[in-house]
Amino acid sequence: MHRRYFITTLCLSCLLWMTVGCTKKKTNVELGNTTQELYLGIGAEPATLDPHLSTGLTEYSIMMAFLEGLTTLDAETMRVLPGVAKSWDISEDGLLYTFHFDPNACWSNGDRVTPEDFLFSFERILTPLLGAPYAYMLYPMRDAEAFHTGKLTDFSKVGATAIDDHTLQIELEQATPYFLSLLAHNTWFPVHPPTILKHGSMTERISKWTKAGNYVGNGPYLLKKWRLNTEVYAVKNPHFRDIESVNLNGIHFLPIEIDTEERAFRSGHLHITATVPIHRIDWYREHRPETINFATSLGVYYYMLNTSRGPLADPRVRKALAYTINREELTKHVLKAGQQPAYHFTPPNAGGYNAEARFPYDPDLARQLLAEAGFPDGKGFPAFELLYNTSESHRTIAVAIQQMWKKELGINIELHNQEWKAYLSTREAGEFDILRASWFGDYDDPNTFLSLGETNNGNNHTEWSSPEYDALIKQAAVTLDPEARKAIFQKAEAILLDEMPVIPIYFYVTSRLIDDAVQGWYPSILDNHPYQAIKLIDNE
Amino acid sequence: MTKQEREKAALEATSLGRDAWEHIKRNRMAQIGGVLFITITLMCWIGPWLSSYSLNQQDLAYGAQSPSAQHWFGTDDLGRDLFVRILIGGRISIGVGFAATFIALVIGVIYGSIAGYVGGKVEDLMMRFVDAVYALPFTMIVIILTVTFDKKSIILIFMAIGAVEWLTMARIVRGQTRALRKLNFIDAAKVYGASHFRILIRHILPNCLGPIIVFTTLMIPSVILLESVLSFLGLGVQPPMSSWGVLINEGAKKIDIYPWQLIFPALFFSITLFALNFIGDGLRDALDPKETK
Repeated sequence: MHRRYFITTLCLSCLLWMTVGCTKKKTNVELGNTTQELYLGIGAEPATLDPHLSTGLTEYSIMMAFLEGLTTLDAETMRVLPGVAKSWDISEDGLLYTFHFDPNACWSNGDRVTPEDFLFSFERILTPLLGAPYAYMLYPMRDAEAFHTGKLTDFSKVGATAIDDHTLQIELEQATPYFLSLLAHNTWFPVHPPTILKHGSMTERISKWTKAGNYVGNGPYLLKKWRLNTEVYAVKNPHFRDIESVNLNGIHFLPIEIDTEERAFRSGHLHITATVPIHRIDWYREHRPETINFATSLGVYYYMLNTSRGPLADPRVRKALAYTINREELTKHVLKAGQQPAYHFTPPNAGGYNAEARFPYDPDLARQLLAEAGFPDGKGFPAFELLYNTSESHRTIAVAIQQMWKKELGINIELHNQEWKAYLSTREAGEFDILRASWFGDYDDPNTFLSLGETNNGNNHTEWSSPEYDALIKQAAVTLDPEARKAIFQKAEAILLDEMPVIPIYFYVTSRLIDDAVQGWYPSILDNHPYQAIKLIDNE
Repeated sequence: MTKQEREKAALEATSLGRDAWEHIKRNRMAQIGGVLFITITLMCWIGPWLSSYSLNQQDLAYGAQSPSAQHWFGTDDLGRDLFVRILIGGRISIGVGFAATFIALVIGVIYGSIAGYVGGKVEDLMMRFVDAVYALPFTMIVIILTVTFDKKSIILIFMAIGAVEWLTMARIVRGQTRALRKLNFIDAAKVYGASHFRILIRHILPNCLGPIIVFTTLMIPSVILLESVLSFLGLGVQPPMSSWGVLINEGAKKIDIYPWQLIFPALFFSITLFALNFIGDGLRDALDPKETK
């Protein structure tokens, strides 16, 4: 009797074990390696897939798959490569660019990409009604700024003309050495005019054209599925001009929250993570050094101050806050990925420009400044809030800085966090006291950082404005001699950090976990990784 | 002993309190629970004074240190002493537990007794409202509250927890009241001309005391648990303050690399929950009128 039960149980458990063993689901990574589909962590749900409205790097990294500008960047060297334009001529004075279109450049519905499409796109982003925060990226084009600020209402007067069906000419305001790499940025991406107009007017901000099924792009991939907070799924675009160069059959962009992402990676759900939680860095260094990748990036992590709010209007208060952050300790003991403490705003070696350190770590001086501003030992200092987008790492840094300010200055702040989309809209509405922010260079030049301080810059939410600073940035734009130009930037940076509307904290080192099946993902100072270069090689 | 004194003593011996005490004295688990709970509470209030570290004192160079002679329970990522953080977190957790329970108790008892006493359509209406609120998921209520009030404070946690916990209390009290309402001594009180208010306060509530006390002791641990859930979701206590929920949440992410960051707060938390549950069970046995000696 007992024996029979024993045998039955044994048989049953064997059967169970076999079924479980047979139907064991393959992990995303295993599945992806066989079908050439990449599972990529992006950290947060993209706010939009409209190239003219987005400001974040997360969104850019997705749109790069769907759209292609006149030029593209080489995955390894970041050198300019042909995109929609297969070649170009530059006039001797560097002011006139003539682009010859690739006859194979097509939209994902089969239409040819024409110079007219680009004109429509330039007009769209520059039209004040659209309220594109990033429109200033087009300012190097002649009269783009005048049109964007409303001084000029006729778009045909702006320096872009379609010569014929496959030639586009762009005239510049002044010679801009980095112009060709600028064209690879999402603000210069074309959109498909019939699609835009089908789902609303040209300047409609909330339009259905970015939905899967409606989206028409000209990039190597097309938008197959977009499930909110779950995934953005891209598949190969059969109409892409250079279909031979596309290795991956599909890309799954997964907006997994940073702390969960690492676990997802360990269980084989992701090929590449958006970042690594800071408390895991040492562990990976020790146990799986081949998996963790560090790349020095042209990026600065900083706190943006709303200079219209209470005591933050006083530059002495802002400086006091900046001088009491112990950046050495933060980078060395908390961040641990080799980040550099930031005593200036522009990251080192941005287009050959190395900013000078502009302020010290000096709590004594900070206390003195705060006392001068009328808050000796922080007495009477109103409570204010520090807002960051939800993430363990940002929180850890914020808690550490909160304590530094409390200990050294006697100031109490509250911490507040919002998820990425909410954070972006709060930031755009300027409804914050202090906001965690970061800025990655869009091109290898100090201008991409320092133009953020300009009064009219759509990404300047500090309410800070200095005519002298604006004038310097304008002057740098027309200065051709590289050394003189750098000197002007130094001057501008000195003003910026003497007024301190932003508190630089550290310069980025991007850390990611990368599965060893992934090939062709290169460290990039712009944190820009063209997908055509990526291949998945299954080692097992 | 005079005759009067003897009579008085006999009366006291059968009173609710005395009776329960006799019961508890025989219940070993409840006693252990009581001692544990008092010890932990005392530790939370006195312990931080004995340590040379303070709640938010950070030393970034000593982040994530394992337990040692300097830091008995180790440190967290920012080099803050975990011993102090756990004890002060305990103050918050136990404090929230008692305060929110008290709020739920007051609302639940008033609501339930009125519903049960008045009866009829009013009772139906009141209890269906309770059912309706019951149907709302707890996290939804909390998210709505936090979005509405924007600022997250401890008061909000009380409100959120109180808003859900009083429902069960109201049901229990209403059931008891309904049963008592029909009994002869209530009719007698009515005949004597006692007001409704007096009947509720003097005659009905004292007779519900047993279930109320029992349920309250069992509610405290569940409230502490809820506070932890809220803090775990990031809706509760805000940094740099600590609570057991916050500490466990942080520790859980690092369970495989810095296990002490999870083990110690979880240990304190579970011991407290066990202790309170034992006390609650003991009281239930002690106060149950059907329990024969």
